[in-house]
Amino acid sequence: MDELYLDNIDEFVNDHNKIVTYKWLSLTLGVHVNTAKQMLYHYLDHKRKESSAQLHATYLVSGKFVHNGQTSYKVSVVREDQLEDFKSKMSLIVSIHVYSVQKALLKDSGPLYSVDYDAVKDNLKNCSRYSAIRCANAVPMSSLELQQVREKQWGPTPEPENQKSATNGDTSQMSKPSSKPQKGIMGMFTNKATPKNQDSSKGVTSEQKEDTPVVDAAKSKPAGKSNPMINFFGSQTAKKPDKKVKEEEAAQSSSASEQRHQSSQPEAKHEAVAAELPKDTKRDCRSKTKRIKDSDSEEEKVEKKKMRRIKKPEPDSSDEDVLPDSPQQMETREPSPSPKKEQSHPEMKTRKRRQVLKSRTFVDDEGCIVTEKVYESESYSETEDDVPASKHTAKDPNPAKLPASNREDKKSQKKASNTNKGSKQASIMGFFQKK
Amino acid sequence: MTTLTRQDLNFGRVVADILCEFLEVAIHLILYVREVYPSGIFQKRKKYNVPVQMSCHPELNQYIQDTLHCIKPLIEKNDAEKVVVVIIDKEHHPVERFVFEISQPPLLSISSDTLLSHVEQLLRAFILKISVCDAVLNNNPPGCSFTVLVHTRDAATRNMEKVQVIKDFPWIVADEQEVYMQEPRLIPLKTMTSDIVKMQLYVEERAQKA
Repeated sequence: MDELYLDNIDEFVNDHNKIVTYKWLSLTLGVHVNTAKQMLYHYLDHKRKESSAQLHATYLVSGKFVHNGQTSYKVSVVREDQLEDFKSKMSLIVSIHVYSVQKALLKDSGPLYSVDYDAVKDNLKNCSRYSAIRCANAVPMSSLELQQVREKQWGPTPEPENQKSATNGDTSQMSKPSSKPQKGIMGMFTNKATPKNQDSSKGVTSEQKEDTPVVDAAKSKPAGKSNPMINFFGSQTAKKPDKKVKEEEAAQSSSASEQRHQSSQPEAKHEAVAAELPKDTKRDCRSKTKRIKDSDSEEEKVEKKKMRRIKKPEPDSSDEDVLPDSPQQMETREPSPSPKKEQSHPEMKTRKRRQVLKSRTFVDDEGCIVTEKVYESESYSETEDDVPASKHTAKDPNPAKLPASNREDKKSQKKASNTNKGSKQASIMGFFQKK
Repeated sequence: MTTLTRQDLNFGRVVADILCEFLEVAIHLILYVREVYPSGIFQKRKKYNVPVQMSCHPELNQYIQDTLHCIKPLIEKNDAEKVVVVIIDKEHHPVERFVFEISQPPLLSISSDTLLSHVEQLLRAFILKISVCDAVLNNNPPGCSFTVLVHTRDAATRNMEKVQVIKDFPWIVADEQEVYMQEPRLIPLKTMTSDIVKMQLYVEERAQKA
């Protein structure tokens, strides 16, 4: 590989002030992702030796993580300054590679997603061209097969649950095979479910995903989490989620979980989301391939996920540790000094009370305006799922009670907000006291 | 292929809506990235299919919304030349000015079906650029606040003063000291050209921020 790429990357980073992620680089230069990762590493190395410009980098770390005796597979994007700390917390590190290089110190991970969004959108039909994840079984269904699946789906199930849009036909079908829950792959989908935690402090690019262990297949909790996720990804086969999402050809067939642990590293979850979202806009272009996400907006996805939960009532409990919805994750989060968790998984009975996150603004004793996001009971029925679901996407769910370590980091950096435990932002509001 | 003129107010309103939505997101993002307010009040929300940071503080949000509500009629009539977000230090001297230069073509022609998604893509690029602008800017001194100025063509603001668009939210002619900055350095950030609007964003930064 000639040295020209160093100049290219230099131009992107320094002259254009771009954030260069490895995926963007691979799509732009037309090289395999692993090559792109190496290019970024060499560039970083080279520049650091010269010690000319000030560069910041983020890394993707994946490996086994033990928390409270429970082992999980975690994939995270971390900033360079948090890297060593993060590595020391993992019990086994499977892979580390450079995720992005940029001049600016990123305060949060939002821009990383934006960078890949347009690149993937432009290459939607073949965004996995340079990817290292492959599945031989994942081929698009022909339109005939698609038809049969739809007919089969809509025929026997006329209950109200099937108010989902037409594209859900596939996912419902998937729910049956997916009842053999946790295979690590399905656990992989809980990546989507785990909240994207943003550090409240500046500089959070670490996202955590909890992957249920392949070993602990029997755990009902992860089952509950993963099943909706499986349905969510629906036809996406049992591959790494991003691959699935990116591979538009990923058809209805669900692959075995052994494919999950292929040699290539799991991609960051938000890439999966990123690849997913472009599909929404391109759905008119792809008429043949059936995609669950095709006609989904974020809100609809949330609804569907909640609706799918109807089928799997038993694993859901109100103390699940993990946020179900990736769209919620996108919008989430500044962790409060005492991070709480959003637990409202609607129980899937016809009419029930459930906890809904509502935001109340009031003036407290000191005369400060306090906005509190609290759970209030709300009676609802299945048919109203749409409305609360969309409310959820607009609200800011409380941060997950995820591994305490991460929280501690964020807490320590969030000095000002530590005083008030009652609500998330009361202490911050102290800045804006009404006197 | 439809050709509309500026007299077609409906379309002007659409453009104004798009721009005001974008400006709201941009202002929140500038406040976040430049650390004008502590990052704790910001939460992640989604706009144009990408995550952006918006503030939760009700008064701040109301202030920004009222500001843009008043600017909207100016944009509709294409009277607003520049919308400037000025970051001011404790002594009320501007430290940074984020200038959005807006111009709309007199003859709007919608020439493609994907116009709006194209515009969305361009606005996404603006958002991304604002997110990384702190690589090219120096840090601000602590205790900054912000204000929004609008530069209009001709005397459009005379109407604004006569008719208060929002009650108790008056607009006044800006002081000279808020408008002019000593020794500004110009840093261009992004330019976009589309069928419905042309916009340019650059930052003027004071050479010494103390």
